[in-house]
Amino acid sequence: MRNWIKIVIFLWICLPFAGIADEKSDDHSRYVQHVEQGFAAIFQGDNQTAISEFEAALVIEPDHYEILHYLGMAYDQQQFWNKAAESYQRSLALMPDNVEALYSLGVVYFKLDKWVDAVPVLERVVALSPHHARGYEILGKSLVKLRRYAEAVPILTKAVTLKPRAAGTYQELGTAYLNIKEYTKAIENFKKALAFGPGRYAEPHHGLGTAYLRLGEREKSRTEMQIYQQLQKEFAEYERLTRLTRAEPDNIEAWTGLATLLMNQKNYPQAVQVFQKCIELAPDNANFHHGLSRAFMALNYPKHAAEAAEKAVRLMPNASILYNTLGSTYAMQGKRRDALAAFQKAIELDSEQPYYHLNISKLYQSFGNQKLAQEHYRAYEHLLSQQKSKQQ
Amino acid sequence: MNTFYLSRNRNNSNYFLFMARYLILLLLSVCPGIAVFAQDAENMIRIPAGTFTMGSDNRAADEKPMHKVYLDTYYISKYEVTNAEYYEFWKQQAVSAQGVPQHTPENFTHLPQIGDWHERAKRFPNHPVVGVSWHDANAYAAWKGMRLPTEAEWEKAARGYTDRVWPWGNAIESYANTAASDDGYKGGLAPVGSFPKGKSYYGVMDMAGNVWEWTADWYSDVYYWHSSQAFTKRPKKNPTGPTAGSWRVIRGGSWIDKISRCSTTFRFYLYPNLKTSFVGFRLAKTAEKTSK
Repeated sequence: MRNWIKIVIFLWICLPFAGIADEKSDDHSRYVQHVEQGFAAIFQGDNQTAISEFEAALVIEPDHYEILHYLGMAYDQQQFWNKAAESYQRSLALMPDNVEALYSLGVVYFKLDKWVDAVPVLERVVALSPHHARGYEILGKSLVKLRRYAEAVPILTKAVTLKPRAAGTYQELGTAYLNIKEYTKAIENFKKALAFGPGRYAEPHHGLGTAYLRLGEREKSRTEMQIYQQLQKEFAEYERLTRLTRAEPDNIEAWTGLATLLMNQKNYPQAVQVFQKCIELAPDNANFHHGLSRAFMALNYPKHAAEAAEKAVRLMPNASILYNTLGSTYAMQGKRRDALAAFQKAIELDSEQPYYHLNISKLYQSFGNQKLAQEHYRAYEHLLSQQKSKQQ
Repeated sequence: MNTFYLSRNRNNSNYFLFMARYLILLLLSVCPGIAVFAQDAENMIRIPAGTFTMGSDNRAADEKPMHKVYLDTYYISKYEVTNAEYYEFWKQQAVSAQGVPQHTPENFTHLPQIGDWHERAKRFPNHPVVGVSWHDANAYAAWKGMRLPTEAEWEKAARGYTDRVWPWGNAIESYANTAASDDGYKGGLAPVGSFPKGKSYYGVMDMAGNVWEWTADWYSDVYYWHSSQAFTKRPKKNPTGPTAGSWRVIRGGSWIDKISRCSTTFRFYLYPNLKTSFVGFRLAKTAEKTSK
């Protein structure tokens, strides 16, 4: 009996310690929950929730260098760069030679225009990881910002060696050469920036214009500067329309303008998104479905393009151009009979469009019907020459 | 080769039928597009030696450039490692470490559909094991006398010899456990092999969705430039990734991801010590070379 009493007293004394253990395990469970929810948010692009979750996790278990790094990345995505830098610094205090955290810190210093701070951090990155292309790239860009052009050249050269076709790096390298008066090398790099860069990339044209001018090639310089100004104008229009659509999300004219601009710029992936937004706002506008179809066609998604063109035709059954597009989408899918019917309908509605005849001519050729193919090809040539003489 | 079929069907009273089936199978195994690949008792699928296309020029920046890679013959597990399989390893580790459990998967108390380790090991034996770090996965693989697949091995097993966006092809289908609500497994894991239509060209299951899978390689966003012909002028042979890094590559997407992140080329990365509910792994082993 006495032993029983002893055991009960012992257990009673131990009870608070058991509570501590439980509490610790509960705390860890909550930490895990916050980390998991943080990742889920990041994967869904919800950085604000990710920040709250990682912050909450770190209150419970503060010494996780990896979670601090992810927290910094979420802040970075939200453009809270000072907070991002702080998180990276905390992460590096726990794991000083973590290359990716060092790189993240270097990038955020660069974004904060703290180029002097960025340089030693990025130098450490490339010292620890000699094949770190992004490290070399941002280090080189920081040196260009600091006007240390001669130092930037070998760093940027290394960056393009590690990551060829990096248009932005060639642009920076061109700038560095331009400033150390090596104009021929500058031109070479600006041209590479244009070759590997996105369409409508303006800055290399400015660089080329300047380099040609310094070499005394005035005509070439003028041409490049004109291209630069034209692209800058387009960019300003793009910015204006983007701002307008952000401020007035239901402004259909702004969305239409943006869609047209993107199609002209051959930025088809973004054009698809913008046309989809237009359709959301005005589902019965055949032009938007038609635009979407053309964008899908340019991206080589004929099935999606055909669906959009079919909708456009249903909404505007007497527009010849819609049948021509529909026929093209069918032809791309190899549905030659459907394509033929659509092209025939287009010509029936408007026989004066040369390209309708060209399309049907090609189709007849694929059927082996040389007679009709040639007939329509002649019609195409005739109508095209008529159009040209009218324009003149 | 194809012995699984043999043992199941051999029947003395129906020998001609067996022979006919065997010959058809033999024919299928050499016919591209409808090939049947050998698998052994451990559910390891043999991926024949050869060159395949890795990466993509049209998707994320770190998938560029699309390039040719040569891999020797290897085996990859048909399924992701399950709770039941990992439990055997974990039990043995506990015994060998004098009862101190090592490589214990993380508990997910807040996710009842996954749950704590002990609970899910018993309740969901056929679910892929999650909550394991890269180090845990590596230790398990070593215990099995195998290893984690390299990133190149993983991609070849997923996309086959053609450029498939998803293991089953290029069309968006509900053939994987993703964040989408129409796959039948909303908010949790699916038992391995639940999506037979989602198998890859080689017959490997669940290479899109369910869980991300640890690979052996360190992550580098520019590694493909160095394993491509851009520098070497010939396909890289058996690439094993950068020599060092901060993150390990994970592949395949998971139950919390959109289908676009579950493509055969999409690359992601995680600190190797992290244990999450959306990362598991599968095994690989190098095929023994036959002497000529």
